[in-house]
Amino acid sequence: METLAISLVKAVPVLSAVPLWTMTLFVMVAVAVVVLAFALTFEGVGSYMLRKVAGDIQARIGPNRVGPYGILQFLADGVKLILKEDIIPAKADRFLFKLAPYFVFVGSFAAFVVVPFGVGLIASDLNIGVYYVMAITSLVVIGVMLAGWASNNKWALLGGMRAAAQIVSYEVPVGMALMPAVLIAGSLSLQDIVRSQSGLFGVFGWNLFHNPFTFFSFLLYFTAAQAETNQTPFDLPEAESELVSGYNVEYSGIRFAMFFMAEFGDMFVVAALATACFLGGWNIPYFNAATLPPLWGNLLSLCVFLGKALAMVLLMMWVRWTLPRLRVDQLMRMAWKYLIPLTFFNLLGVSLWLLLFNGRGIPQMIAAVIGR
Amino acid sequence: MSAVDAKAQARTEALPTTEMTINMGPQHPSTHGVLRVELRTDGEVVSNARPDVGYLHRGLEKIGERLTYAQFMPFTDRLDYLAGMNCNCAYAWAVEKLANIEVPERAEYIRVIVCELNRISSHLISFGSFTADMGAFTPFLYSIRERERVNDLFEDICGNRLTYNYARIGGVSGDLPPDFIEKTKEFLDYFEPKIDEYNELISYNKIFVNRLANIAVVSAAEAVAYGLTGPNLRGSGVAFDLRRDEPYSVYPKLDFKVCVGTGERGKLGDCFDRYMVRINEMRESIKIVRQAIAQIPEGPVLAKVPRLFKPAAAEVYVRTECPRGETGFYLVSDGTVNPYRLKIRTGSFVSMNIFEPITKGLMIADIVAVIGSLDIILPEIDR
Amino acid sequence: MGLKAYVADIWDAVVTTAKGMRITASYGVNPKEEVTQQYPEERREPSERFRGFLHNDIKACTACTMCIKVCPVDCIALESVRGADKKMVLVSYDINIARCMYCGLCVEACPTKSLKHTSGYERASVNRGELILHFVEEDGNEIKARVARQVAAAAAKAAEAAKAAEAAKAEAEKSAGVPSSGTKAASPTPAGSPAPGNPGAVKAADVPKPAGAAATKEPETKG
Repeated sequence: METLAISLVKAVPVLSAVPLWTMTLFVMVAVAVVVLAFALTFEGVGSYMLRKVAGDIQARIGPNRVGPYGILQFLADGVKLILKEDIIPAKADRFLFKLAPYFVFVGSFAAFVVVPFGVGLIASDLNIGVYYVMAITSLVVIGVMLAGWASNNKWALLGGMRAAAQIVSYEVPVGMALMPAVLIAGSLSLQDIVRSQSGLFGVFGWNLFHNPFTFFSFLLYFTAAQAETNQTPFDLPEAESELVSGYNVEYSGIRFAMFFMAEFGDMFVVAALATACFLGGWNIPYFNAATLPPLWGNLLSLCVFLGKALAMVLLMMWVRWTLPRLRVDQLMRMAWKYLIPLTFFNLLGVSLWLLLFNGRGIPQMIAAVIGR
Repeated sequence: MSAVDAKAQARTEALPTTEMTINMGPQHPSTHGVLRVELRTDGEVVSNARPDVGYLHRGLEKIGERLTYAQFMPFTDRLDYLAGMNCNCAYAWAVEKLANIEVPERAEYIRVIVCELNRISSHLISFGSFTADMGAFTPFLYSIRERERVNDLFEDICGNRLTYNYARIGGVSGDLPPDFIEKTKEFLDYFEPKIDEYNELISYNKIFVNRLANIAVVSAAEAVAYGLTGPNLRGSGVAFDLRRDEPYSVYPKLDFKVCVGTGERGKLGDCFDRYMVRINEMRESIKIVRQAIAQIPEGPVLAKVPRLFKPAAAEVYVRTECPRGETGFYLVSDGTVNPYRLKIRTGSFVSMNIFEPITKGLMIADIVAVIGSLDIILPEIDR
Repeated sequence: MGLKAYVADIWDAVVTTAKGMRITASYGVNPKEEVTQQYPEERREPSERFRGFLHNDIKACTACTMCIKVCPVDCIALESVRGADKKMVLVSYDINIARCMYCGLCVEACPTKSLKHTSGYERASVNRGELILHFVEEDGNEIKARVARQVAAAAAKAAEAAKAAEAAKAEAEKSAGVPSSGTKAASPTPAGSPAPGNPGAVKAADVPKPAGAAATKEPETKG
């Protein structure tokens, strides 16, 4: 941020009168606004995509009345939710009730900070990138539990408890499944992980093809991520047909909108992490993104990244509309007895591989043999 | 009890919890109508689930006492609205037995055709809403799409898509339209491969099977003792189908298999068996309709019955195989134009009997599975 | 759970999921699979026998009240008066389409086939009064008054004709030599018919009401 502030001052000399800390603060706020705007736009686009994909799969048309092909549907929904009456149940814990959506939204939105959108396009390249994401998305658990408790509704309570158990349990496989990518890159920073997948035409360097264990790891990560974001088949906390919307049953209007938006935000974050860690992030096929002229490099890598991330989101939606829901004990069993042992086994496999083959993956070894 | 279970038991006893009473109220997405289930749970595990019916009671039986026999026909549509033709015909058969009215053969064939088509559409809804309750929203829309085609056929025949009011005392109200047979054949050819598609999509999906297998097992003896009928009874392995064992109408001339649960994915008599019985019954209904279309003779479709006929003072109980079990009409006539007593016995009402015993110890998510697998419908329960 | 069962479990889950995803994908990418009809721009044509709102062709209706007798929910109400030619004249014919259950029993019972189903099904309104369809457009009281006048005129004509016939008969008898039936001079007037020139005296009570008309007068729902 400081470097950005300094280069901004250099570019606009009249701003040199302002102290540096103010400039840095100003830049930080501006970046935050940009990222928030992107997050909200994605949440709108995501909800539109969800409904259109649902319509296509279910032999019907999705929204198509508001705006051409219904693309303004999310705006109409947003306006509707804002205009709704703010109902707080009589015996609900008012403070916690109002606080819960913010925890959930912050937990989801704060993870956007370390998403590597493109070459040099990252809000803050923390050197603990992956670790930070895992930690900050845990705020969602607190929010969901608060929502469940504060609603003074037994169904909400059940949903909240289930959600807490689910999200906490599935954080372990998510983290463990991301470890191979970290091991290969040697760093927790997401930009480093993406950079470590460059070269080899920008496609074969992907961690997905690195070795069979990382391939398996990708599948495990995807499954665990589906659970983290409460998508069917793991959508018990908001099981429409059982708990009548679970922990957010008593919420209406903008408070409900925050839960809703946080869900899509979460979906994008896990998709972005999957892209960054396994699918080569913003690496452009054939070109080396870092060597392209500045604006082109940024733009192309951004487009590539968004394309891959949206493809992942599409995949999550496809799975969502196909599968039925797991029961809560089956869900916990799947996490603790299937996903966690498999991810640990995977991690062991990747570590052994890296030890044996000196950190090179299958494509790298083939390339070395061919002589590239 | 294994060592692990014994330890768990000891831990549970050391930390007592109180039971929660939750209302799975009349307004709920999964209760297939206005059913209230009072759950007493310890966390997720249900210790008692008591159903509370009556939210849809409209006094149909009392209404029947002040209407003539012919006037009550539209009300039978509203008994099991997803199987309107079946209920219409069940009532018609009962009154015809009471008043000794003979129905022309063509009318009987037509009745069987529409009853079996309605069985298909009713099982489609049962399949669709059951999978939707389980969380797979897509098969529901596919089944609705199929059902719309059946509704198109029925609209051509009788003019309505849900409350058909097609059967009359003595036959049916109108003959088949000229292109009905062709359209039906088209529908059957289109629909038969779809059943395999549904099986591939959802029926044998591991998650779905895990949700249903070994849940709420009803043994054959229990099923008979509690008076279950229809697919619920056959799902427990009891091969009893009124169409074969107490045949009525033209069923003796038609060849079909009685679908019985086989315990293919769990214990015999669990939710999965009941579900599969319905899927297989759709196939058998297709067979029946094809045969009936081939065998249907020409002739009149309505016998001459006076508008205000007075059957002799007698009582009769006629039962037929409806998609949700046995629908029986107990009619008592006192020689006037109105029945003295018109009692309706429905499969769903009796199925509610077994709800409380089989849901002990299940989880809340399983309660939804049980309601769906019993395939109840509230207007039939509450009348 | 042995290792074999564990692996088989995982494999089974993956395979069945993949099969399911293949089917949903086939629907997802196939644009022909959209069965939605964009109502109200695309409307489905109801079938020929569709049981929509009822319509009564009052020119053909003979006010026989079969429809009322057959209706299970008492949604039809009619009022009629006996006209000069001894046939019933419809004063009002109302169907409450909110009560009607579109069963079609009345259409089947109508002997002149004046009552028919239309293919209409779109008549949502915010006012329950709007849901009572009146098929006789003229004002009921005017019809009654007109019919009363016609009946009175016919009665007067009949009385005059009877008097003339009586006079002719008396003439014929006189010429034939039969003692005049003076005691029977007062021609027997039909019971209840007033002296000519007093049409206003005809009241509803005097006119024989058709069976069922008063009893089935539907109370006008308020509002």
